[in-house]
Amino acid sequence: MKWIPNFNSSNSLRVIFVIAVFILLFLSSIAYKHNQDLNESSKLVMHTYEINIQLERLMSAIKDAETGQRGYIITRNARFLTPYIYSRDKVNTSFINLKKLTADNPQQQKNLHRLFKLITQRFVSFENCLKYSDPKTYDKRKLDNHMFGGRILMENIRFKVDEMNDIEKEFLKKRLKIYDSEISLSPLFSISLFLVALSFILLAYRQISRDFERLKVFNKKLLISSGLISESENIGKFSTWQWDLDSDKIDFSDNQFQLLGLEPRSFAPNKATLIKYVHPDDKEAVAKAIDGILDKKHLPFVYYKIIRPDFEVRYFKTTGKLVTDQQGSKILLGINFDITDEHLLNIELQERNKELEKSNKELASFNHVASHDLQEPLRKIQTFISRVSDADKEVMSESGKNYITKIESSAKRMRVLIDDLLLFSRTNTTKKEFIKVNLNELLNNAESELAEIIEEKKAIISAPKLPKLSVIPYQIEQLFINLIGNSLKYSQPGLRPEISISSEKVSASDYPEILEQSVKKFHKITFSDNGMGFDPQFKETIFILFQRLHSKTDYPGTGIGLAICKKIVENHKGHITADSILGKGSVFTVFLPD
Amino acid sequence: MQKNALHILLADDDEDDRLFFKDAFEEIKIQTNVNFVHDGMQLMDHLMNPDNKLPDILFLDLNMPKKTGKECLIEIKKTDHLKDIIIAIYSTSSSEEDIEDTFIQGANIYIKKPSDFNTLKKIINEVVTVNWHYHTSGLNRDNFLLRLK
Repeated sequence: MKWIPNFNSSNSLRVIFVIAVFILLFLSSIAYKHNQDLNESSKLVMHTYEINIQLERLMSAIKDAETGQRGYIITRNARFLTPYIYSRDKVNTSFINLKKLTADNPQQQKNLHRLFKLITQRFVSFENCLKYSDPKTYDKRKLDNHMFGGRILMENIRFKVDEMNDIEKEFLKKRLKIYDSEISLSPLFSISLFLVALSFILLAYRQISRDFERLKVFNKKLLISSGLISESENIGKFSTWQWDLDSDKIDFSDNQFQLLGLEPRSFAPNKATLIKYVHPDDKEAVAKAIDGILDKKHLPFVYYKIIRPDFEVRYFKTTGKLVTDQQGSKILLGINFDITDEHLLNIELQERNKELEKSNKELASFNHVASHDLQEPLRKIQTFISRVSDADKEVMSESGKNYITKIESSAKRMRVLIDDLLLFSRTNTTKKEFIKVNLNELLNNAESELAEIIEEKKAIISAPKLPKLSVIPYQIEQLFINLIGNSLKYSQPGLRPEISISSEKVSASDYPEILEQSVKKFHKITFSDNGMGFDPQFKETIFILFQRLHSKTDYPGTGIGLAICKKIVENHKGHITADSILGKGSVFTVFLPD
Repeated sequence: MQKNALHILLADDDEDDRLFFKDAFEEIKIQTNVNFVHDGMQLMDHLMNPDNKLPDILFLDLNMPKKTGKECLIEIKKTDHLKDIIIAIYSTSSSEEDIEDTFIQGANIYIKKPSDFNTLKKIINEVVTVNWHYHTSGLNRDNFLLRLK
């Protein structure tokens, strides 16, 4: 089915879609990872700061302890010892926290362990300082030593704490660097990827909208053509039906219902309804034809009658074909024609044909009557007259002899009339066998037929080489006899008759009014004489049966000769014309198809 | 009845024609023995009767009651001992069809009944004096229909 538009773009559309979706998925996974990393790194930063804070707290607790201890040593006021006492707990808390925070880092654990050792030593030093500053156990040298040692320990602790902070910072820096390298995609790349995806989607959208436009156009065309089909079905009195063999679903066109004398879509067609309205006489044949289509894949024309619900009988002609559609399902396509009008016309034509045949038969029997029954008595009259011997005539009266002569000439005229009439009717009724023959041959025959009168009048007949044509030989011969005979008959008294015949090939288009245009070339054969001619006003009437221009006493004749000529030329699908100048001669022109 | 006279048989239902025929033969002064039958049945009976001498020339009308001339012609040509009889069709008709048919069926000559007694005499003279053995061998469609010169 060629008229279905081919939407090939749908495949590329799918590819574009898949690519766009993958790009978007990729982009979102990267964004997710990025987010994760960001989260991780902020946690890491937090972690580092926490360690830093805990270490600072640790430091400040030790410093508090140091400051409290100094205050106590100077003032001996026990109140200064409070921060020192609490600092131990603070140090422990910080330591536990730090231990937890650095659990995943063995190096920091080691550092923490050392730091712990240093802090423990510092506290031992504190205890010693307190001990040697106590007035009871005062020892200046030892106190100085311990104070000094405490100073060094403090620096070591600070150093250790700084070292740990540095390690954390270093670690943080390294991790952040790793994260940065992990999210290697630059924002520019992401954006361009996104833009590509976006343009793909836009492209797809454009394709879809274009397809949609095309679909709309085709849909419109389809609507128009289906409208036209249903209109033409109405005008042409035909209808279509489809029978999907796989799903066993039958569709009728609207006009199918109308042809059956029903409202469109007035029932759902099925296999049974296909023959439901068929006339009982034809049901079997139609059912057989429908079955036959499945084997032959083609339904030759089936002719049958149907009965409409209002009992009107219509004549149908149906043909069909088995086709396979794009999806591979078998569909039976059928066309029904309502041929009632043609059928009735045909019947009328057949009747007329019969009438024609009958009248033709009557004509033939008239022919027989004329040739036998009419001639028989006439021949007898003539024969009996011929038997009246000269001796018999001697004893007759003058008037009697005169009557015999009149009877004789009347009988002769009757004979000529019957013969000519017979000839005329035979040009119509006898079978027309066309044979390719040289016209010169026929002309020679005609001349020998007329030899007597040609001799008598000393006529000169000049003829060129005539063409070879497919004709009814004896009729053309008769045509030549009649035309030449006519010229000889109506020659000028005291003038030697001269008849010149000429022939040329002409185009039908040069004579549009008289020649059949479906035949391209004609042979124009002209017969000119130097006879008495006739008044040109009679150039049409002389071809009519029984029309005569002269009295029969001057020129005996029946008025049939030229009518026979016309008939013969018409039998050959040609044309004959006559022209003349009175007293100068006549020209008869015969056109015969090539 | 002379022994070497020509045996002529005319089959014609028309009494006048038989009369013309008889008169014409009487006037042409050729020794002939002319017999007549009135229809096709009578003709066949006459020919089939072994007592009757077969004619040298049979003049056969086409339009006859009971059995037409054409039927007789076919029967004669089918019958072994009759098929060599010279047959001259003698008919009013000059239709091409009749001439064609009888020629094909094997008639020897076709005569259109003339409308003049003198012409009839000439024709009969012509037909009777033809050397048929010679003529038959040169029989063709063109000289089948008798035309008087």
